[in-house]
Amino acid sequence: MKKNDDIDRRKFIKLGLCSSAGLLLGSLYAFSDKPVNSEFKSYKDLYKYNWGYIVDTTRCIGCGACVRACSVENEVPDSYFRTWVERYEINSKEEVRVDSPNGAMQSFKENNFKDEIVKAFFVPKICNHCRNSACTQVCPVGASYHTPDGVVLIDKEHCIGCGYCVQACPYGCRYIDHKKGTADKCTLCYHRIHKGELPACVNACPRNARIFGNLKDPKSNINKILHQRRYGILKPDLGTNPKCFYLGLDLEVK
Amino acid sequence: MKDKLHIIIVFSIIVVLIIFAFIIDGILQPKSFNEHGHYRWDAVNESIDHSVVNQNINTCSECHQEIYQLHQKDAHYNVPCVDCHSAGNLHVSFHRKDANSKNISKKQAELKKEFNFEGCLYCHRKLAARPSDFPQVDQKEHYKFLHITDTATKCIECHSPHEPIFLLTDSRKSRLHPMVYKCTDCHKTKPKKSFYDVADHPKIFECKDCHPDVVKDFESKPHFNYVECRTCHLFHKENENMGRMYKNGNAKFCLLCHESKPFKDPKYPPKVEWPSHIKGLKNIDKKDTKICLDCHSKQIHTMELKLRGNPHPGNWRTEHKKFAKTEILSKGKISCMNCHTKETCFNCHKLEMPHSETFLENHKETIDKKGKKLCLSCHSQRFCNDCH
Repeated sequence: MKKNDDIDRRKFIKLGLCSSAGLLLGSLYAFSDKPVNSEFKSYKDLYKYNWGYIVDTTRCIGCGACVRACSVENEVPDSYFRTWVERYEINSKEEVRVDSPNGAMQSFKENNFKDEIVKAFFVPKICNHCRNSACTQVCPVGASYHTPDGVVLIDKEHCIGCGYCVQACPYGCRYIDHKKGTADKCTLCYHRIHKGELPACVNACPRNARIFGNLKDPKSNINKILHQRRYGILKPDLGTNPKCFYLGLDLEVK
Repeated sequence: MKDKLHIIIVFSIIVVLIIFAFIIDGILQPKSFNEHGHYRWDAVNESIDHSVVNQNINTCSECHQEIYQLHQKDAHYNVPCVDCHSAGNLHVSFHRKDANSKNISKKQAELKKEFNFEGCLYCHRKLAARPSDFPQVDQKEHYKFLHITDTATKCIECHSPHEPIFLLTDSRKSRLHPMVYKCTDCHKTKPKKSFYDVADHPKIFECKDCHPDVVKDFESKPHFNYVECRTCHLFHKENENMGRMYKNGNAKFCLLCHESKPFKDPKYPPKVEWPSHIKGLKNIDKKDTKICLDCHSKQIHTMELKLRGNPHPGNWRTEHKKFAKTEILSKGKISCMNCHTKETCFNCHKLEMPHSETFLENHKETIDKKGKKLCLSCHSQRFCNDCH
């Protein structure tokens, strides 16, 4: 009996070692690097930029061209949005109604109030690409990160889809893509801006209500506007330090 | 002593485990992780490695130059192609015949061209939240106003999306409204109430403030109560600090309301058949854009049709020079007389054009005779100052 026991233990250890070695090798293979085709950008290349974004709420007409362009560009699943347009309406009794039917994908149909509207405006929303973002801090696997040029991105190969970041974002700019099983969000069209194009939403805007540019370049259009106009940010009290600036922001907008 | 050995064994196992854990962590960490922070550096470059879907207006203009020029001249110049014609990446790669074009069928490469109401109303539906200076349409009222009987009529029956209000660049450039920059531009004395923000000012100006005669005259004419000044004259805001007025005497513009079409009420407003309406009339240059105003200007309001007789509309100086050079060089002679008679220039300028060869020697006499002002109608003050 005793002898048999000994053999079993030795076998067990052997088996255990073999299987763990196999697992190690397997995982090494699974996570091995894959070739990247495009011109490789170095850290220094990207450090020249610090992308910023301005939304001019006084010019927005709520046509939803940005929402449609974004969903085509980035294959955003139905009923999720990386950018959307909200409408604020205030009537003479100081009642406020906010709506965004299907993210303004089909624009807006009718006024919400039948009686007199004293004030109404559109506010396009987009990921704020905060300097101190809450979403990157909570990621347990390091799949959500800041690039050197100040864009918050998701490493979709390593995201486990836990959804912590979706809950952490105070602006509701993230969602879980159930097809891919990962979190997803606005990337400021990272593939476009490094090919010299504007983000899809900026490119599609017919009223120049969205302005995009490099904050590190003192001569850029975005810096010029930030010096000329009065701007605000969303939820400044949270200390997220967003890089998306709003011109003509109302107190009602949160 | 026996216990000491136990402790050493336990601790050494823990240390070995920790080292082992570090080694495994190092092996399992993906390549380039922690290179520039707590993330995989390669993921940044993977994000760049997508293809662009929505096309830039400059890409479109490479092939569709003609339509691009048309589009740039009119009020929709700021609306990018993708807003109406869809993203267009398949269209571009199919027609450029790049590597991906074999996988694209001809049908996939087609752009969106059909437009129903929704396409236009995405931007132009009347909503309280839209800025008031943006043109908005209540479809029912608009059709009632224009006496359109068939409610299924599409917007593009009348409005061409590429040139919705038929503007010509020349008229846009030349007919700048005297812009209002400061309070004192309008207010002779200090106003009783001042506004911190210009946007709070009840109104910058009304048409009758500066053009009382024209507005009074207009009120006695048949168009009054049916159209406003802004129907034909558009106050166009390009940015916060600038306003611009442009005018339209284009025949196409009048025909928007007055051309008879099957979907319109035949009686009101008065309809004409086009172009048979002017076929019988002589002395009309078909290329002229302001045909209607020649006869009907009195039915609108008194207007000086100076621009019609003006030989130098818009940026004539640069454009006519270019035009003349190409025309003349082809004929081998440099002279205005290739196209014009001698009187054409002389009638207004009272001078030979181009100036005669003896002009330079005798120009002091000429100026004494005809006045210095005559020079300044063509030449700038600097032109004289350069020598004197």
